[in-house]
Amino acid sequence: MNKTEYDYIIEIENVSKTFTGGVEAVRDFSAKIRRQQVVVIMGPSGSGKSTLLRCLNGLETPDNGAIVVDGIPLDDDKHHRLEIRKEVGMVFQSFNLFPHLTVLENVNLAQMRVRKKDKAAATQRSTELLQMVGIADKVNAYPAQLSGGQQQRVAIARALAMAPKVMLFDEPTSALDPEMINEVLDVMKVLARSGMTMVVVTHEMGFAREVSDWVIFMDGGQIVETGTPECIFTNPQEERTQRFLSQIL
Amino acid sequence: MKRRAIFRSPWKDIAQFALLIIVAVWLLSLSTARLGYYWQWYRIPRYLFRVVDGRLVAGELIEGLLFTFKISGVSLVLALALGLATALLRLSDSFMGRILTRLYLEVIRNTPLVVQIYLVYFVIGPILGLGRFASAVMALSLFEGSYISEIFRAGIVSLHKGQWEATYSLGLSRFDTYRDVILPQAIRRILPPLTGEVISLIKNTSLVSLVALSDLALQARVVAADTFLTFEVWFTTAVIYLAITVPLSVAVHALEKRFKVLT
Ligand SMILES: Nc1ncnc2c1ncn2[C@@H]1O[C@H](COP(=O)(O)OP(=O)(O)O)[C@@H](O)[C@H]1O
Ligand SMILES: [Mg+2]
Repeated sequence: MNKTEYDYIIEIENVSKTFTGGVEAVRDFSAKIRRQQVVVIMGPSGSGKSTLLRCLNGLETPDNGAIVVDGIPLDDDKHHRLEIRKEVGMVFQSFNLFPHLTVLENVNLAQMRVRKKDKAAATQRSTELLQMVGIADKVNAYPAQLSGGQQQRVAIARALAMAPKVMLFDEPTSALDPEMINEVLDVMKVLARSGMTMVVVTHEMGFAREVSDWVIFMDGGQIVETGTPECIFTNPQEERTQRFLSQIL
Repeated sequence: MKRRAIFRSPWKDIAQFALLIIVAVWLLSLSTARLGYYWQWYRIPRYLFRVVDGRLVAGELIEGLLFTFKISGVSLVLALALGLATALLRLSDSFMGRILTRLYLEVIRNTPLVVQIYLVYFVIGPILGLGRFASAVMALSLFEGSYISEIFRAGIVSLHKGQWEATYSLGLSRFDTYRDVILPQAIRRILPPLTGEVISLIKNTSLVSLVALSDLALQARVVAADTFLTFEVWFTTAVIYLAITVPLSVAVHALEKRFKVLT
């Protein structure tokens, strides 16, 4: 079977992760994510959302269970891991831009080193992406010269430059001042409508309602409840979900 | 106010130091007068520069200084390479690599440099067929490399782990990660302590005079013995060392100030 014929781009089967020190961050977690879906993960702080997300591109290694990304098993095989790292983009809460490189250089780097493009080709693609995220006039600035919202948009462009098949977002707006949250969410909405597969950890209900296909509510490393945003937000079944939603509203 | 305490101007230190020297010289002239020491500063310049056939040539002390520069320069390049390699190996996944670097660091850190110089000169050098200069360079590089590796390591681990995670998720290789992201940032941070290590390297080269290499210290000893101008020669020599190390030290301060502001 051709791997692009897989229905699910990410399959998570019985994944568990316990940190040294005994914290069981993710417990026997299973889920499947379809192509072009936008999945939002919510849950209280410490419920294992980041750990789960980081397992999906190999930043954390699960103790048990299996993860398959686009038909490639995420195992000890270095080639598999590299293939998955190339196909899965990640956006962090703290942006993690390279402070010594300009905006353009940040977006060019992986294209040139990993995709082996020459500088002109990389720059052309970077310029398009930076235009899309609305940073076209700041290509030669350094990250420290940008606002938080601008930095996060550059970070999104940098991840997109690898032309990933999936994008992971770990609370991309949590470190931002309130007035900058929307400029980042707007870029993510455009991306979602363009058909990008996205797994987003966020507490932004508006975003989840508007663009997500599926919401997973997590607590204690496990799925408490899943469903369409309508179901979860208007008619949550579980008491823990209700309590959490009433807190963030 | 707090900033001032941290970023004290080096010029104040230098002024204090100059005052100290003046007082010391004055006290010394009192006591040498009692000793009956007969100052002959006018005989010193010819050991710095002299005119031969209408041409200016370096005297013994300046020749020694040039040799000190040469051995410092060669040792510094090797020590930087060795220090970087050791730091990377220590931070690698290789178990053998970590054991070997640990062993190297422990041995070098816990024995005196003089002993290392003799050991390389009399034992390892002959085994490897190294000459006198190469032996001295090897001893100095091994010694300085161990300190420089610690500076590199500290600079690398001081970077936020988000930098590693970003390069990981972009698919960058370990080599590219170090070359393009980690080292350029680490080097900016470690420039001040690295310059400090250059100063200590220059001072430490004076120990190679023990194996009869004609650096500044050895030349000074020879000139002092030949002329009996003990005080003048050693004062001059100290001033020459200071003339190199003080500007570097000022540079360290300036760099520290600049990079503190930047980060
Ligand atoms: N590197 C780590 N080492 C030890 N414990 C960790 C580590 N990362 C996360 N944890 C713990 O795992 C649990 C889940 O953390 P996390 O996945 O960050 O939750 P969330 O993103 O939902 O806030 C928490 O109890 C946290 O303290
Ligand atoms: Mg988190």
